[in-house]
Amino acid sequence: MALTEAEVARYARQLILPGMGEASQEAFRSARVRVTGGGLAAAPAVYYLAAAGIGTLWIDEPDEVSPGSGAGFALGPADLGRPRGAALAAFARAANALVTADVFRPGSRPTAVLVCGSSSDVSRAIADEARLLRTPHVVADVDGQGGAVTTVPVDAPCYACAARPGLGAAPTQEGGATVGALAAMELLLLLSGASSEPVARRIEVFRGTPLVRATSRQPGCACAGPAAAGLAP
Amino acid sequence: MTGTPLPAARIDVRPHACPVTWVKARIALSRLATGQVLEVLLADGEPRENVPRSAEEDGHRVLRLEAAPEEGPGTWRAWLERGPEPEERAWP
Repeated sequence: MALTEAEVARYARQLILPGMGEASQEAFRSARVRVTGGGLAAAPAVYYLAAAGIGTLWIDEPDEVSPGSGAGFALGPADLGRPRGAALAAFARAANALVTADVFRPGSRPTAVLVCGSSSDVSRAIADEARLLRTPHVVADVDGQGGAVTTVPVDAPCYACAARPGLGAAPTQEGGATVGALAAMELLLLLSGASSEPVARRIEVFRGTPLVRATSRQPGCACAGPAAAGLAP
Repeated sequence: MTGTPLPAARIDVRPHACPVTWVKARIALSRLATGQVLEVLLADGEPRENVPRSAEEDGHRVLRLEAAPEEGPGTWRAWLERGPEPEERAWP
């Protein structure tokens, strides 16, 4: 369905970006993105995905909003005690009335997943689930004032293959904002169709310096299929 | 104009302001085949300057840009020929 007048007006500035166009915006509108993991990158990412026009956002954050849970720019004192997913969904709807945002319900089928894990173990478990469901996903790891973003198109080297040790610093709000914004942009690139062959890559931002590298499969990893993992009959 | 193909589509962006003027022209151009022509009705001033320039920057050709007083005071008409499909862009 062609873009409406309201959509053209709302997204005018991104519709004129190189590589973007009506088809990309329609792809955003038809996307269903699950944001999950409980990490500090979630709220900034939700904002950018909503602002860009992702048609359906499902927030999978069952914990309650607490004073120390971050996202002060998104969640106010009135949100304390509310389920974080519901509060962030309301924040997304306020950011852009043209999108639908709600809490994630089991059985829903996202077209992409944004993993904002509170730890690398959490991220790894969710990313593996997305890989097995053949759902493209982006993983945001906050590490101190920076972190890393791993983009995993379908059949690409998995998050576990791409991950490598960072600084191991405590996550900060600044790191959440940086990594959340970057992760949202990577997911939008994946969904935009700007490239017929989406790039599997990892972007690390430490001390303000981004480092981009293509990811590669680790020998024997299960993501290469049963034969590579030694599970073939 | 001899040899100039007639417009395959026509849009009126006079009610809109920048950047929506160019966005609507760009979307209309993307729906045409290479070589087809889009007629765009423009208000004088910024739209008349920006839309043809943006079209050329985007790889299209401006075949005509002329005053069109019969369409209303201060109206201009641009004929934009759809350029070739852009080459696939590398990811940033």
